[in-house]
Amino acid sequence: MDFGAIWDLIILRPVINSLIWLCSVLFSNFGLTIIAFTIIIRGLMYQLTAKQLRATKGMQELQPKMSELQQKYAKDKRKLAQEQMKLYKESGLSPAGCLLPMLVQLPVWIALYQSIIRVLAVTPEDFLSLSHYLYSWPVVYSMLPLGRAFLWLDLATPNAIMALLVAGTMWIQQKMVAPTTADPKQQAQSRMMLWMMPLMFGFFCLSFPSGLSLYWLASNVISIVMQYFVTGWGGLVKLGPKRAAGRDKKYRKRITQVEQESSPYADIGADIVEPGSTPEEGLGYGKFGDKRQDRGGGYPTRLREIRRSTRKSKGHRPKRR
Amino acid sequence: MRFKQSGIRLGKILLLLAMLLLCGLTVFGCIGGALPKGWSGGTIANDTLFLGSMDGRLIAINLSDNSSLWEVPLETPKPTGGGFSFSCAPASTSVAIYGSPAVDGDLVYIGGYNGKIYALSSSSGTLRWVYPRQDNLQPIVSGPVVALGKVYIGCSDGTLYALDATTGDKQWGFQTGDKIWSTPAIDGDTIYISSFDKKLYALNATNGNKKWEFEAEGAIASTPLIYNSTVYIGSFDRYLYAINADNGSLKWKFIAEKWFWARPVAYNNTIYAPCLDGKIYILDADSGHELVDAIDLGSPISSSPVLVDSSVIIAAEEGELYSIDTSNNQIKPLASLGGTVDAPLCARHGVVYVHTQKSESLYVLNAQTGVVLWRLPLTTK
Repeated sequence: MDFGAIWDLIILRPVINSLIWLCSVLFSNFGLTIIAFTIIIRGLMYQLTAKQLRATKGMQELQPKMSELQQKYAKDKRKLAQEQMKLYKESGLSPAGCLLPMLVQLPVWIALYQSIIRVLAVTPEDFLSLSHYLYSWPVVYSMLPLGRAFLWLDLATPNAIMALLVAGTMWIQQKMVAPTTADPKQQAQSRMMLWMMPLMFGFFCLSFPSGLSLYWLASNVISIVMQYFVTGWGGLVKLGPKRAAGRDKKYRKRITQVEQESSPYADIGADIVEPGSTPEEGLGYGKFGDKRQDRGGGYPTRLREIRRSTRKSKGHRPKRR
Repeated sequence: MRFKQSGIRLGKILLLLAMLLLCGLTVFGCIGGALPKGWSGGTIANDTLFLGSMDGRLIAINLSDNSSLWEVPLETPKPTGGGFSFSCAPASTSVAIYGSPAVDGDLVYIGGYNGKIYALSSSSGTLRWVYPRQDNLQPIVSGPVVALGKVYIGCSDGTLYALDATTGDKQWGFQTGDKIWSTPAIDGDTIYISSFDKKLYALNATNGNKKWEFEAEGAIASTPLIYNSTVYIGSFDRYLYAINADNGSLKWKFIAEKWFWARPVAYNNTIYAPCLDGKIYILDADSGHELVDAIDLGSPISSSPVLVDSSVIIAAEEGELYSIDTSNNQIKPLASLGGTVDAPLCARHGVVYVHTQKSESLYVLNAQTGVVLWRLPLTTK
């Protein structure tokens, strides 16, 4: 049995039949089915996604220190690597923490995508192909072909409004996770990610059935909500200079304490650049201000513990604004 | 492991993953949702075989000398460059043809997936009329049927059209609740048409008035078979129905493992019903009881079989050709054509004609021995 057959047997067939069954429950409305199915799948993968978001956020928070390490050990690559490894170890993070959950989710996304395309069979060839994937459930056979109308959409044909919505929500999502950094290379990277993904998916939506666009739109909205609860608005909300400076002052005090207590890199952390010296830096450090945006405790364990102790010693919890 | 410029690397890796996801979606997605290609069967009249090719040509082959008589593209290809598209299949303006042509007198009729119905001279291929003259209907998957001076054809807009066979003028239309993909069947002054709205309709062929309707549990895409005043038709609900042709009452129904797509054949009060579960069910025409155990071909059967003398010739989707001896219902393999077969088979004088879709060809075989008499490649490139 080749990979394709195994994939079809254990992934695609269950997803396709579940979609059709769910459609029978949801008033034979395939648009609702796509949204509901996306919510269910994303819900099942919540822990994985949250882990990835926290790890990504943690990696971003380490970037100032990384940059300073790079500056400090620019001529000694070996030492730089050792120090970076130490920093990762100390913070309890690793780049794999960001990538592994994403890799695990990749097949699920592809399976959903494939299933929606197949279930929305349009041509006679599509129907014949779909018949190979169906279980012997009476409800599956009586439901086909599924209705293609949802709101103003024909789910089997492309739709320009959906393309705009997908691109817009994807931009918001990207903006929320975009790292704020003073490094020009990283800035360029972030800008490219910020625009490239929404544009590409927008173009895709102009060519593919709007049922897929609906899936992407639902997925983006869910991602935005999850990101908000795990990491906050991130790069989407720019703080005013005064407010940011105030937060940074508190933050710097706290982070200095953290570093003095816990990290062998205190000498590096003490070199934190004054906020507001550049817009990027001000915004960057403002993200770690007294307003806890992670909400889910997404910081590296050690840092989180120290922060808790700091709060306890002050006898109050900073207000959420 | 060295994490040199780890931030930049992380960004690059994320970017790479995003690209990987996009490519994966495109590649895997392209497995489904491809452009329509068509699977027209052949029709023989006046020593000529008419056939629609997958690149949208209506082809006439002289069977007396196996030469090509004429071929006409149903729609002149127009270049479509300039647009940006991530579509799976290459841009194409050729018309997919699913229905088998119908011939009456000097005219040959065919419907295209572009929503047009054409009438051409059967001797020269000259276009006589096209319906509608302007604009297009919804895609046409149904094949035409000619009787009583009219051409009957179903359309994806859910309408059965009755057109004047000579002029192409619309005589009447009967609206069903969903798409019509099946070819109508006519018996006397009654025309039978099935629809995705799960119903089989019996209409007065002269004026389109409904005589009766029968509702199944699933959509119907297969073409009805009329035999001994009974309509036999398969549905997506996995049932093969036997319906009284006079009043639409159910005689019996038989359930299979998957849905029935191809039209069954009948011989000697026996129904031979191919199914997408890869089996041929051999049923008593009166009771629906299985006369023998179903014959498993191991590959879905979407091509309608054909009766040659007292043998049923049947093609599995993977290109294997079989013959069932109706005297003892024993099956024997005839040939392996090595190409996908979805098109209905046709036969004449002990010779069977098979239109294969993969590496598109017309195979001409001896129905008794399975020997390939000749093969005509139909690809233009």
